[in-house]
Amino acid sequence: MTTVSDPVDDFTKRLMGDLPPQRGVKLTEQQLRARRARSIAIALALGAFVIVIFLVTIVRLGGNVLTRPM
Amino acid sequence: MSLTVARVEPSIAGVGDYIELMKPRVMSLVVFTALVGLLVAPGHVHPVIGMTALLCIAVGAGAAGALNMSYDADIDALMTRTAARPIPRGRVTAGEAAGFGMTLAAFSVVTLGLLVNWVAGLLLGFTILFYVVVYTMWLKRSTPQNIVIGGAAGALPPIIGWAAATGTVAIEPVLLFLIIFFWTPPHFWALSLYRTEDYARAGVPMLPVVAGDRETRRHILIYTLLLAPLGVTPWLLGYAGPTYGLAAAAVGGVMIVLALRVRAERSGHVASRQMFAFSILYLFLLFAMLLVDRMSGLVFGHLAL
Repeated sequence: MTTVSDPVDDFTKRLMGDLPPQRGVKLTEQQLRARRARSIAIALALGAFVIVIFLVTIVRLGGNVLTRPM
Repeated sequence: MSLTVARVEPSIAGVGDYIELMKPRVMSLVVFTALVGLLVAPGHVHPVIGMTALLCIAVGAGAAGALNMSYDADIDALMTRTAARPIPRGRVTAGEAAGFGMTLAAFSVVTLGLLVNWVAGLLLGFTILFYVVVYTMWLKRSTPQNIVIGGAAGALPPIIGWAAATGTVAIEPVLLFLIIFFWTPPHFWALSLYRTEDYARAGVPMLPVVAGDRETRRHILIYTLLLAPLGVTPWLLGYAGPTYGLAAAAVGGVMIVLALRVRAERSGHVASRQMFAFSILYLFLLFAMLLVDRMSGLVFGHLAL
């Protein structure tokens, strides 16, 4: 367990210039690399999900994909 | 004013750890059996719809794996076979795995339901729920029949595949379900024979831990004697051709011979290791033959026209 200051308090103090601008958890090189890899994987998964939805929509609509009110 | 919070170290888990949570080897067998269910079903499935269904089934299987590892992290840490999994190794927390599993489960079920059909979607949801709640949370730690009843979850993918293609369930995929259902106990009991100490240490009441080696070997033989003829029934009932029937009879015969050797083995675990390894090949060959039989029927049927 550890004690941390209230973020709202910190924000006010930082505005008043009572606190240095940078605080919080500093990630290690390994943690940064792991987070970046996870973020890329999530982005790729979401991209793949969008493509799947798009393709299935086109397949389901079939020839009707070009039928639209003018 | 200050707040007291628990310190949580930022995660160092890589993508590989999350892939490992999804049990890729189990997933590959699930996808393969679902693919066979999907392709032997009557009618035509658009390749995009078929691929979407398989993707959802794969992700659903991965979700079930992650939820299983999340709940079983305590006993996984005690067993040699599972001690290197991401949670016991400290790469992923049980909570992260649970969140990952639940997200994947929700996405896979809803996507399969909306994009393919709701019979398949609900069957996938039922399979995940059965594996996580009935097998993992309830049966695994309470009865030696855990893998017999829990095996139903692993046997459902061909039915989901069939339902994805047709929107219904028929006798043929139920036969495939029964084949996997009766295949699961001899497969896992063969493994548990040479992992008895592992299971005993973790307090998992697998059959060899509770009833002993001798009884387990007898059970393996009984289930194999039920499995071998069951493997031939798709041909006997006219769902597959004689090539499949002969192949199924041949590999079923090998399974019986191996089960007899397991039964006769008094010391060591050579026969049980062979039984475990061949049982994987058996299921793969059976389903592959069914697929070949169906595909050749389609090709030759098409050529005859």
